[in-house]
Amino acid sequence: MSNELNDRLRAALRPVDPGESFTQGVLARIAGEPPGLRVSAHRAVRMLELRWLSGALLAVAAAGFLVAHQWQARQHAQQGQEARRQVMEALRVTSEKLDLAYQVVKDKEHSGA
Amino acid sequence: MNASLKVLSAAVLTGWMAVASAKIAAAATPGALQLPNFDGISSKAVQTVDISLDTSLLGMAASFMDSGKPDDAAVKEIIAGLKGVYVRSYTFNGDFQYPEADIDSVRRQLAAPGWQRLVAVHNSPDHSNVDIYICMVQGRASGLAIIASQPREFTIVNIVGSVDLQKLHQLQGKLGIPPIQLPDNKAAASK
Repeated sequence: MSNELNDRLRAALRPVDPGESFTQGVLARIAGEPPGLRVSAHRAVRMLELRWLSGALLAVAAAGFLVAHQWQARQHAQQGQEARRQVMEALRVTSEKLDLAYQVVKDKEHSGA
Repeated sequence: MNASLKVLSAAVLTGWMAVASAKIAAAATPGALQLPNFDGISSKAVQTVDISLDTSLLGMAASFMDSGKPDDAAVKEIIAGLKGVYVRSYTFNGDFQYPEADIDSVRRQLAAPGWQRLVAVHNSPDHSNVDIYICMVQGRASGLAIIASQPREFTIVNIVGSVDLQKLHQLQGKLGIPPIQLPDNKAAASK
């Protein structure tokens, strides 16, 4: 009984050639599909890649801008401090020479008196 | 090739014109002196002070001063009216190693109208000379020049803009600036 069932199932499930007409039909259908549908999957993958790439580029640009901004701020601070130091030095030299003039005048006054 | 040469010559000409116009502008500013190039002697000097501060650098320096601190506020007030500060000071190991001709070229500029000599100190024993000039334009001080020379040192100071000696005087003893004893101060003290 079980052998008979087994044989009937094997017979029913045996591989059958669909025939040339079926193959032709499938090929004709593929050929008839619009090209956009075939490319869309590829394009989706490309778009995803581009999105990642543009995101990465944006991040790199933002980091670069931040670094450049910090560098510029540091440069500005250094220039400002240097300018400040030079102002102090210039005032020191100026007052030193003014004082020298005064000392000489004072010495002459004392020696004259 | 020809096009490159034309571009290059145009760039050189533009640069030269920019430098020339900047020099003319500097010379045209009342109170501004054309300081000689002292590069040759700076190598011989044991100590060199070479300061050139234009309006933008003075503004930058002022922005780095704290108005809340009295000393900084005083300096800020002094430099507020200035258009430029130029100092050349050289100290040598030997006597008279600096070129007198360069100093004379500055003195000649101070003979121009507008400049008045405030103080001329020539001390023979120690060969120390100090000349202080002020540039007056329409009754207002628009520049100060100091030429000080000693056997082993010479200094040229040119302050362009509204100079107030009394304000400078107020800085005495602060920020490493030595006390300045102007004659007015002495008179006030004796009263």
